Amino acid sequence: MNNIETKFYNAFIVNDRWMLYVKGLGVTLEIALFAGIIGIIIGCIVALMKLSEPKKGRKHTLWWYLATAYVDVIRGTPAVLQLLIMWFIVFSTSKNGVLVASLSFGINSGAYVSEIIRAGILAVDKGQTEAGYSLGLTKGQTMWEIVLPQAFKNVLPPIGNEFITLIKETAIVGYVSLSDLTRAASQISSRTYEAFMPLIGAAVIYFILIKILTLLLEALERRMRRSDLR
Amino acid sequence: MKKIVSIALTVALMAAVVTGCGSDKGAAAGGASGIDSAALADGVLTVGTNAEFPPFEYLGDNGEPDGFDMALIKAIGEELGVEVVVENMEFDSLVSAIGSKIDVAIAGMTVTDERKQSVDFSESYYNAVQHVLVPIDSTIATYDDLKGKTIGCQLGTTGDFIIEEIEGATSQQYNKAVDAVNDLANGRLDAVIIDSNPAGVFASKYPDKIKDLDGADFDFEIEEYAIALPKGDTALQEAVNVAIKKLKDNGTFDKLVDQYMQ
Repeated sequence: MNNIETKFYNAFIVNDRWMLYVKGLGVTLEIALFAGIIGIIIGCIVALMKLSEPKKGRKHTLWWYLATAYVDVIRGTPAVLQLLIMWFIVFSTSKNGVLVASLSFGINSGAYVSEIIRAGILAVDKGQTEAGYSLGLTKGQTMWEIVLPQAFKNVLPPIGNEFITLIKETAIVGYVSLSDLTRAASQISSRTYEAFMPLIGAAVIYFILIKILTLLLEALERRMRRSDLR
Repeated sequence: MKKIVSIALTVALMAAVVTGCGSDKGAAAGGASGIDSAALADGVLTVGTNAEFPPFEYLGDNGEPDGFDMALIKAIGEELGVEVVVENMEFDSLVSAIGSKIDVAIAGMTVTDERKQSVDFSESYYNAVQHVLVPIDSTIATYDDLKGKTIGCQLGTTGDFIIEEIEGATSQQYNKAVDAVNDLANGRLDAVIIDSNPAGVFASKYPDKIKDLDGADFDFEIEEYAIALPKGDTALQEAVNVAIKKLKDNGTFDKLVDQYMQ
């Protein structure tokens, strides 16, 4: 028992080591938040590019080809390689690690978000669009006023899912010497030569963080469903 | 077709179980070494290393860990009469893996009091001092110059601990020393603190970008590399020390130094 107490003390209390986890959590959240925002912006644009309607006689628009190439490349390569490429090749002289990581994860997440949003838009019944046109709305108005609000409700659960994945995916930023929550656990176990406490500690912090996020998402979904019950 | 697959699977499973039992029996009979050590009971010495530290350990052209340490531990294994199996892993997890995933660790590891709380060490087999890599036009020359700088290192290495002590310095910890050196060449870091031998290797890779400064000018302590052993396994410790002494006496050790360090 005493042994466990010592391990706990070494992993969290001594030299204010808990501050390392807190700072690491800060970095994790910062990267996940920026990346999430970048991902949603890219995702919306790319989804609309993929849904753009081609001229008569063509199969796809130029936008469609660009968007498809982007999604293919991003989904076809591991996130950790994308991060290493961004850090060591593309932005090899940038000193702002959080920014490089956020961009890297944002561009990565955008590919997945775009597919989620595309699916959400396609899931809205075609009759809704037709009804919009028959009421004299333009294409843009129909999309903005009728299709997107319904699509938003469709995509909320998978977007939440994607954001949760994103938070956990940031655990690889240790590869480029950023000190996120996972890295904080490695740093401490490299000091104490004891892996149990730091790893379990970091896992518990991730779990609590994501549990809170899940509850918030559920509340938001409930709010969105109110209009279903008329 | 499905039936054939399931039969094949069953046969494979049974074969695995049978061979599994077979090796258990081998262990119960005691290793070939004749040394009363739990680590050697299966006749295999599982050695952990981190093959990111030339010339002590690095991945050879065949993808297997190679280098001075690898050659040394294999020679020691021969002396002990056991088979040596090398596990390549992260440096910072080596010490905590001893006793579970690996039996011993050889990775250019410096003997420190902190590490001694978790593991025992063999006699030291090499003395080294930390070196400082800086950009070729850098003015850093003394310990005081390092204060407040951004300094790179490999996570959990001696360099990491030195940076922690430097006033106002920011430590950038990498999984691999080569990543830190890369970032030094890219201008992200003011300096990198690593062991003298890899420092020389890296400086020779970037002769027009990086220079290699001797840690003696920075008053770094001399460190002793040793093999990390399970805590309290005195039989193994003794056997390894005897083997090291024998290799030094019969010239094998010097031959390995010539082969890998020059």
